[in-house]
Amino acid sequence: MATSITQGGQAAPGAKVGGQVGRSLPRLEARAKVTGRAEYTHTMRLAGMLHAKIFRSTVAHGRIKSIDVSAAAKVPGVYRVVTADDVRKVIPSPYYGPAFHDQPILAIDKVHYVGEPVAAVVAADPHVAEEAVQLIVANYEELPAVFDEIEAAHNKTLVHEELKPAGTFADLKHLKGRKGTNVALDFKLRRGDVDKAFAEAAHVFEHTFHTQKVLHLPLEPFASIADWNESGVTIYSATQGPSFVRTEIARLLGWPENRVRIKVPYLGGGFGAKLYIKMEALATALSMIVRRSVKVALTMEEQFYTITRHPSTFRIKTGVDATGRITARKCEVYWNGGAYADVGPRVAQKSGFTASGPYDIDNVWVDSYALYTNLPPAGALRGFGIPQLVWGYESHTDMIARALKLDPIEFRRKNLLREGRPQATGQIVREVQLEAVLDRVAERLNWGKPLPAGTGALRRGRGVAVAIKAVIAPTTSVANLTIAGDGSTTLYCGTIDMGQGSDTAMAQIVGEVLDIPAETVRIVPRDTDVTPYDMGTLGSRSLYHMGHAVRLAAEEARAKIKAMAREVGEPEGSNIPLPDLFKKKFGMQAGNIVGTGTYKPDYVPPDPATGLTDNVTPFWMCAASGAEVEVDTETGHVRIARLVTAVDCGRPVNPKIVETQISGAVLMHLGFTMFETMHIDAGQVTNASLADYKIPAMLDVPQVMENEAVDSHLASGPFGAKGVGETATFCVSPAIANAIEDACGVRLTSLPLTPEAVFRALRVQANAPLEDEE
Amino acid sequence: MTRTISFSLNGEQVSAEIKPHHNLVEVLQREFNLMGARESCGQGMCGCCTVLVNGEAVSGCLYLAAFVDGAEVKTVESLAEARTQALSPVQEAFIEAGAFQCGYCTPGFLLMTTQLLDRYPEPDEDQIRHYLSGNLCRCGAYPEIVDAVKLAARKRKNPRPA
Amino acid sequence: MTPFELLEPASLAEAIALLDPEDSSVRPIAGGTALMLMMKAGVFRPRRLVSLRKLASLNSGIAIGKNGALSIGAMTPLAAVERSAEVARAAPVIPRMMRRLSNIRVRNVATIGGNLAHGDPHMDLPPVLIALSAEVGVVGPDGTAERRVAIEDLVTGYFETVLAKNELVSELRIPPQGGSRAVYIKVTTGSAEDWPALGIAVALEAEGAMVKSARVVISAATERATRLKGVERLLAGTSIDEKMLARAGDAAADEAECISDVRGSAAYKRELTRVHVGRALRQALNS
Repeated sequence: MATSITQGGQAAPGAKVGGQVGRSLPRLEARAKVTGRAEYTHTMRLAGMLHAKIFRSTVAHGRIKSIDVSAAAKVPGVYRVVTADDVRKVIPSPYYGPAFHDQPILAIDKVHYVGEPVAAVVAADPHVAEEAVQLIVANYEELPAVFDEIEAAHNKTLVHEELKPAGTFADLKHLKGRKGTNVALDFKLRRGDVDKAFAEAAHVFEHTFHTQKVLHLPLEPFASIADWNESGVTIYSATQGPSFVRTEIARLLGWPENRVRIKVPYLGGGFGAKLYIKMEALATALSMIVRRSVKVALTMEEQFYTITRHPSTFRIKTGVDATGRITARKCEVYWNGGAYADVGPRVAQKSGFTASGPYDIDNVWVDSYALYTNLPPAGALRGFGIPQLVWGYESHTDMIARALKLDPIEFRRKNLLREGRPQATGQIVREVQLEAVLDRVAERLNWGKPLPAGTGALRRGRGVAVAIKAVIAPTTSVANLTIAGDGSTTLYCGTIDMGQGSDTAMAQIVGEVLDIPAETVRIVPRDTDVTPYDMGTLGSRSLYHMGHAVRLAAEEARAKIKAMAREVGEPEGSNIPLPDLFKKKFGMQAGNIVGTGTYKPDYVPPDPATGLTDNVTPFWMCAASGAEVEVDTETGHVRIARLVTAVDCGRPVNPKIVETQISGAVLMHLGFTMFETMHIDAGQVTNASLADYKIPAMLDVPQVMENEAVDSHLASGPFGAKGVGETATFCVSPAIANAIEDACGVRLTSLPLTPEAVFRALRVQANAPLEDEE
Repeated sequence: MTRTISFSLNGEQVSAEIKPHHNLVEVLQREFNLMGARESCGQGMCGCCTVLVNGEAVSGCLYLAAFVDGAEVKTVESLAEARTQALSPVQEAFIEAGAFQCGYCTPGFLLMTTQLLDRYPEPDEDQIRHYLSGNLCRCGAYPEIVDAVKLAARKRKNPRPA
Repeated sequence: MTPFELLEPASLAEAIALLDPEDSSVRPIAGGTALMLMMKAGVFRPRRLVSLRKLASLNSGIAIGKNGALSIGAMTPLAAVERSAEVARAAPVIPRMMRRLSNIRVRNVATIGGNLAHGDPHMDLPPVLIALSAEVGVVGPDGTAERRVAIEDLVTGYFETVLAKNELVSELRIPPQGGSRAVYIKVTTGSAEDWPALGIAVALEAEGAMVKSARVVISAATERATRLKGVERLLAGTSIDEKMLARAGDAAADEAECISDVRGSAAYKRELTRVHVGRALRQALNS
């Protein structure tokens, strides 16, 4: 597999280096990461930089009556204490957000959740700033608050008086200025006639599922440094979307984009947390106010008050005919978006496309509501809502199979979407290996052979789940590539390598096109002054979209090499080394060849009334997981004996990195499935630290974990590739819940699947519910 | 309340002006520009701030800098050979096994693995999992890290001929 | 963290003189892992910290007396205890328990004395030491006069101990265990490396299935590590069979004063207690 590397980094047409796509090349930045030299924003310093610490709201919903900063301002070493009044002097309308311009840089007039930034202290010594923050006193007139998404949907308690859509998205325009509602988006999909189908169905099943509030928790907490002056602002930021940050900061400042520069070093994890705009606006405002560079670096605890995943309630109803075919499915999904919309409306809409699952169903009804509540905001987390939906529909599907005494895999197979059939949106499904992923998981679980049921208090069981996702569309990526006079190649692309290995994959695509070793391609650090536009590193879109842009840029460069060779009189098919070619053309080691590529796939927006469209996505991703568990029925503890996952990510550009992406996604979702949960009491997060909010560690890795990418080649993908970051997250939760029911007969409908939840369900099953104590 | 501490840092004798409330990580970053140990959870739970003090791994975020006065301190930056910057077998193994993604937790895992192999040159899976159970990797590279530890043990046992 | 004064006295008398019995913002600091957490969270803002690191008299190390009693200097790091051959011989339950106590970095720094004096109800060490009938030596302002406090009497509540603000733990003593067999079960409900939701420590002196004496301790689920004396009385002098294990579990569930927190409801922890007391006894009997 490994290619011999002898070319010294010079594109030499004719001298075949061999395939670069498909190599398990170690990450290009590996050395920097193992020597501790890789740079992250959280540890960056600029000369003369000041540090800011944030004073946060202690009430969930309230009118700010007063903020007393006098004691804080007197602390020796404090440079400035800043409130919204100061911010508005430099940024008159300081509201930001990707879907709605609803989030103030510091709270204005009202606070909307516990933990919302209300004031900031700037000092040269971060300890001094921290000390001063403790001396700020705010008084609030408390207002009624709403925390539950279903309650929020009743609109009795309102989070915001008026909706302020950003205007970025056409389907949000009708919400502009709307009052009296917490609904930030209502996506509808209507296909066929579900009511008629339910009436005619042999069996109808209806269940409700819940997911809890969890968070991304990248180990590098949020950090941004802004360095502002009259001519421009430079922001160093841990962001997954520098282009968006630039646009948004430019809008806030009323400046053209070219006066805003965003630089991004390595990211210590993102998972969707660092998308859109987070600390950048506050850092910029503070830098404008104190006229120095200012760093806002959050603590782990503060991440709990910044962005989370949506809790959700999912009501799902399915009609099945006498032969075991699913004839109708109705899905009502309520997304608890917290106090600010962030990208929640997109989560509600985009996941709504596939709320009915990877099944071929003639009659589908989907209502998906993004709701405001008085909780910390929710955004995209590795899957854009899909894992919450799969939790519901694959638990539900399993419950149906059990009720009908059908084999859970056979029931799924019978109803799976096949090549050439329309998906719920109406788009014809092509090139998605649903059957293959399900088959591989079944094989690895030895599904055909019975599983021993266990002994004594320990009961064993197994379960599966399968899921589909439409990649987010429409989005744009641009890449530039230069070849220098010595033939060496440099790539400029805005995709953020936050650990997923995109730099390495992009270099492999360049290498494949130009026939050079990938490790000789230099990837320029992200800097919006240099690297061109990219919509964002999110939703498993980068390999496909940026991959194509990079391919196009490299192909353009390759064409220009050929043209230059012709121009200097080289015969057709010449394999003149590039340095010689440049010398022939420019008389010395000089000049550049520049290639550029832009990629934006086609998209037809869904009809607002029906949600139908024949082109909702450029490609489909899918995955299946299977679990074998052992339940201690005396305590409710669940041991995961085996966890297998198969995904369709198209052709793996770098098989080793794909493998680590799959296992990493599975393990992250193991945490969300088994124990991660933000405990919230009257809007206050009570476990906002790694001491009390546990994430998976080494001892939580299942005894046997098997992962694979099934054979697949996406004809429209760059060298057959799709994306991979999210796929393995989809099915972990329902596969384990389905295995638990198989093991001990209890069905859990809320996450996480804690020992106590399992124990309580067992007691209900035994007609002896556990009674709580005073 | 400023005081001067002197200690050995990655083999060199150094001193720094610090205050009692400064922790070891911030002093390494601010005074010595060593960014490999980094504060993440701030509670000694994640291991991103792992530093060796007198040969024992500690959480630098929970360690008062004042306490390293007179001690021997080593950071991830000391793992590569000082003059040639040749990587240590543990570092090589982490690269070859693909044992990290974002890299933020990696210095901690590298130092802990080095300690583990110093103590148990041929650790079994159970020893590896327990020894590294106090280091967190949100990217979830644990299976690859276990592979890397085993590979590093082999590399240390059979060093490549110079 | 906010500024404070850090003093590093070289003698015990000096250290005790620097502590202030009336001022809770003056505290001794040993390894500091637990104290640093409180300082970083802003729940403890010291005016002065008195480091015990340079006090030779608290650094007496680990020794086994002629009668088999174990003495461990207060400043001994947990990791040294974990790795000690003497400890493994005298009380093998301790190194077994240590393996899952917090993590190696904490064990390298945290000290025996600091761990006990902190009074944290979620620690794994106190229930085990109570089961082993261990005690600490405590020194105070009257110099050499040392008082002895049984570990079971040391902690009085949530982060509260019988220690005066100018008293220090000097040494941990574990009496010879004779034929007693001890077991500790740590039950977590989050990740495997979480703090315990429940700790059960048992020390059993038995001949065959016949129990001569038993010490049964619950921790983490309760406000402080507590002996379940009703269970101990039930077991003393009886022959253990499955029925007796179930009765012991029921008695423990009745006796335990469980509290609810993010790791589980009181009702659930009571059920965990019921199961794990029986399991711990069975393990001790079979070990």
